Amino acid sequence: METKIHKSKFVIIASIATEITKIINIAKELSLAAGNAKAIAYRAGDKAKGFQPITDFINELAKETLMLVNDINNNAYSLYNISIEEYRIKEAIKGINKVNKLIGNKNQQPYYYNSLESFSLTLNKELMYCSEDLDIKVKELLDQLDGIMRPARAARVIAANSRIEASQADEYLQSLQGVAESVDKAAQVIYDSVQRSQRTLSMINHLD
Amino acid sequence: MKMVKLYSGNHQWILCGRDVHKTAQIIDTNQYIFRTRNRCLLIDPGGTELFSPMLVAALHWAPIEEITDLFASHQDPDVISSLGLWDKTLPKATLHAPKLWEGFLRHFGCESIEYNGIPDEGKILNFEGSELHIIPAHYLHSSANFNLYDPEAKLLMSGDIGAALEDNDSPVFVDNFDEHVEKMRFFHQRWMPSEKAKLDWINRVRKLDIEMLAPQHGRIFKGDDVKRFLDWFESLTVGIATV
Repeated sequence: METKIHKSKFVIIASIATEITKIINIAKELSLAAGNAKAIAYRAGDKAKGFQPITDFINELAKETLMLVNDINNNAYSLYNISIEEYRIKEAIKGINKVNKLIGNKNQQPYYYNSLESFSLTLNKELMYCSEDLDIKVKELLDQLDGIMRPARAARVIAANSRIEASQADEYLQSLQGVAESVDKAAQVIYDSVQRSQRTLSMINHLD
Repeated sequence: MKMVKLYSGNHQWILCGRDVHKTAQIIDTNQYIFRTRNRCLLIDPGGTELFSPMLVAALHWAPIEEITDLFASHQDPDVISSLGLWDKTLPKATLHAPKLWEGFLRHFGCESIEYNGIPDEGKILNFEGSELHIIPAHYLHSSANFNLYDPEAKLLMSGDIGAALEDNDSPVFVDNFDEHVEKMRFFHQRWMPSEKAKLDWINRVRKLDIEMLAPQHGRIFKGDDVKRFLDWFESLTVGIATV
């Protein structure tokens, strides 16, 4: 049986905001993991020589992810504002359309009824501009989400390299493998969050 | 929506209410139109549910571009939750409402409408030579609350003061004060929190020459019933919900 899930634009944007918060938190964890890895690598000295530059990469990735996510967050906020504006214009149009139903026949038409007509057209134009703005913002956001996949993919490569370098670090093996695991896990979480956001966001154009 | 012309002189007062399309769960409200030659003020224009009927009513008296002003006696949803819709519909308008409520009322949506915050002491508005005095009625029931007094029509739009909860097919004017009292008692005792504020308002209003006292709910008081109402209200204990 097909289950239809109704989602309003506000719910979609709120879901994306939730995913963004997840990415922000994981990027912060990544940054902490980088600091931790640096300390371990420093203690391990020559045994973890190959690991030291990797810690800098992890830190850079965390910073880049945070920067990109902040931009996405700002854009999602603009998208929210536009969708509120669009909602209010649509409600006003609905209210004006209801006027015709209430009037019933021409004999009951208010004396100044015609003054509403030109304004109703203006409001419909405003709605059109608003919907166009919304489309632009959605496309921008989809592109931005695509952009965040790059550091996520890089993180997976770094995680693989970290495992190799960790295997040569004798007694520090476990600690450094732990770092590699957390980088890999972070990359996976970011990847999943971005995919969910993209799927959800692409639904927005199919809603009223 | 029923429309009753209350006054016609240099300007007009129209009562809009007793809306037959309104669902039973929504409290019945009186909206008022104050019309001068080129301007139209909607007084306590109502909640979102009432936006369309109120727009129809207003278009009987003014073209959309001449609906230039809105007044909200206080912040309640039945008074002004339609603000976001008027904001999108009126090309150029000003909302006159308590300054204290500005940050709250803007939650309803107020981007194109200009917000004229009324200070606690009230002020006088001038509409093409017709004056409306904004009279403080704080804590009756809202913490920042105003009435409108028209010295020419001798009409006081009293917001929730004088309100009665009735069916939406009730008469427009009070015809038997003694019978009407019971429809007002609980509303005033439960909604009005302060004896001090009540007496302060009564003293202020007794100095005005009032022919009609027009509340936001229920019937309008005319002539001697205005004095009867003030006397009754003065003797009524308010703020009864102390548990």
